[in-house]
Amino acid sequence: MFRKILIANRGEIALRVLRACRTLGVEAVVAYSEADRDSLPAQLADEAICIGPADARRSYLSAPAVISAAIVTGCDAIHPGYGFLSEDESFAEVVRAHDLTFIGPPPEVLDRFASKEGSRRLLGSHGLPTIPGSDSMIRDDDHALQEAERIGYPVLIKPSAGGGGKGMRMVRTTRELQSAIRVCRSEAKAAFGDDSLYLEKWLEDNRHVEVQVAVDRFGHGIHLGERDCSVQRRHQKILEEAPSPALSATGRAELAERAVRAVVAAGYENVGTLEFLVDAAGNAYFIEINCRIQVEHPITEMLTGVDLVAMQIRIAAGERLELRQSDIQLRGHAIEFRINAEDPAHEFRPGAGLVENYQAPGGPGIRMDSHLYPGYEVPPFYDSLLGKLIVWGPDRETAIARSRVALDELVVDGLTTNVEIHKALLGNETFLEGRMTTSLLDRVGSAAFLAAAART
Amino acid sequence: MPDAKRDRAGDASRIGDHGAIQRLADGLLPALIAKLSTTHLGELEVREGDWRIRLRRPAGSEIREGRRATDRPSRTQPGHEGHGHPRGAPEGSRPGRVGTPTGYADASAPSSNGNGGSSRRDRDRSGLAGDPPPVATSPAVGVFQPGPRAVTGTRIRSGDSLGVVDLLGVPQDVVAPVDGVVGSTLVEAGTAVEYGQELVRIELAAPAESR
Repeated sequence: MFRKILIANRGEIALRVLRACRTLGVEAVVAYSEADRDSLPAQLADEAICIGPADARRSYLSAPAVISAAIVTGCDAIHPGYGFLSEDESFAEVVRAHDLTFIGPPPEVLDRFASKEGSRRLLGSHGLPTIPGSDSMIRDDDHALQEAERIGYPVLIKPSAGGGGKGMRMVRTTRELQSAIRVCRSEAKAAFGDDSLYLEKWLEDNRHVEVQVAVDRFGHGIHLGERDCSVQRRHQKILEEAPSPALSATGRAELAERAVRAVVAAGYENVGTLEFLVDAAGNAYFIEINCRIQVEHPITEMLTGVDLVAMQIRIAAGERLELRQSDIQLRGHAIEFRINAEDPAHEFRPGAGLVENYQAPGGPGIRMDSHLYPGYEVPPFYDSLLGKLIVWGPDRETAIARSRVALDELVVDGLTTNVEIHKALLGNETFLEGRMTTSLLDRVGSAAFLAAAART
Repeated sequence: MPDAKRDRAGDASRIGDHGAIQRLADGLLPALIAKLSTTHLGELEVREGDWRIRLRRPAGSEIREGRRATDRPSRTQPGHEGHGHPRGAPEGSRPGRVGTPTGYADASAPSSNGNGGSSRRDRDRSGLAGDPPPVATSPAVGVFQPGPRAVTGTRIRSGDSLGVVDLLGVPQDVVAPVDGVVGSTLVEAGTAVEYGQELVRIELAAPAESR
């Protein structure tokens, strides 16, 4: 086990990692930016060290600053949390070059899974279903029509180069396809200097389901069930729950087992999350793997009783994963509410400022992971996550009932938060029936969603 | 956003020049600097697509990260104004700092180093006498080595180097924020210091000379 760990992150995840270190009996140093001097993790840590100014590029994203801080404080490992440097393979490599351990997958594993497209190919070759697409770049109109027919409409035309939606069109018919191809080609040519296009099946209304896995250095892997992250706003997850209401018991086991088999075969190491899109018919398509601890990991902890961050640290330290798959029992239902400093009535405009009062809810099955305290000043430089309310119940109904009580008890004065959107969700029929898809909030817009909830 | 996938090497060449430059500057450069510092090489070069980045370590000069010795103590972040003077933090609501890095820094150095930048800037602007004496602060987290000018009584000019903080083998200048006379060095040579830590106190020169 490590002797001393540098926590190179901030906010609730820095606190979460600090708690895991304490549990393991490992000293922890919190690396903070000037803007986080008064943060709770910096105050509670065994040591805290300022690594740079508020600008994350010169503090939390600066590899030299983070590594130098680890060295001068005598740490032997760095926990990157999520975001920032957590999936940066070149950072992980430099960490290793300084005889420190990066808590996460080893650099060569990070490198192998660095590109989404590469990960899809790799894990696809190990048995994970991926979104159906054209067999190659589109050669001509006939080829495109043939392939679209084979994949099935609607299809998405995508440029081989690129991003940002340029040269990208969703089409529903052959006629649309023919005219859109020409537009996409010229757009792609203009934007990227490359007009090669390919087709991908368009998943109309899908759910976002992800599988948590853990693999040790010796190739022993387990899964810890799945999480449903379908409640999103513009691809930002807001609420997550486990198990997914979209999967049957057999569908769940099958997906998770395929996921863990594939990552073990592909040489993955440490904790990781495989994200899938699940279509209306219940087909799951692998989209990407996250090589880090996820924001929403606590709901899995509530169901399994496993401390995922401690497990992540142990695996990075080279320990064997003692748990067998049969040791993992998924009990009850858990929901996580991301409490963000943002205004749902005004298109989720992010906020910052003084927390005048803060009171965490309590009671059976309630867990609050937050770095807030009364008098804390939320700096404007980083993301808007204030904390996560995690609620467990023996079943989904009980979890929802406890969630209503907990959201009412939660006090965050001084800032506008998205708590109202959570309360509205708990009154939304689609959500209550477990039928939500990723378009639930975006389809009507969040303001309209709130207004509709207020009327009922 | 913490949960967002960062741009990857494979994507960078496709999102055009700006993306590539951004990635080179933000992603690759710090990693390269760190790497270079672990070797005895004088130069490192990396190619990626059409882009090439070369890092050279000329003898006796230093590679600085972000801030240059000649930079005025300005801030890149809008809204950074007043930072270091936590506004509205109610008395008594801030528990004593358990984590003040006294374990690896001179305990006599106050840890209110966030004020270093601000007071320095304020002074530049106002030039008022009666403020607390200006202090040169650490430009990085690393090990402090005072330079030949960091001797009590030495007359210095704003922008002079008073020593360096070694950031993974790359020296970062400790810069005098104002014209004046070196007062006292607050941290011993070879001590590990954090970013913004107060290192060298400076007495203002007589008003006639300073303005």
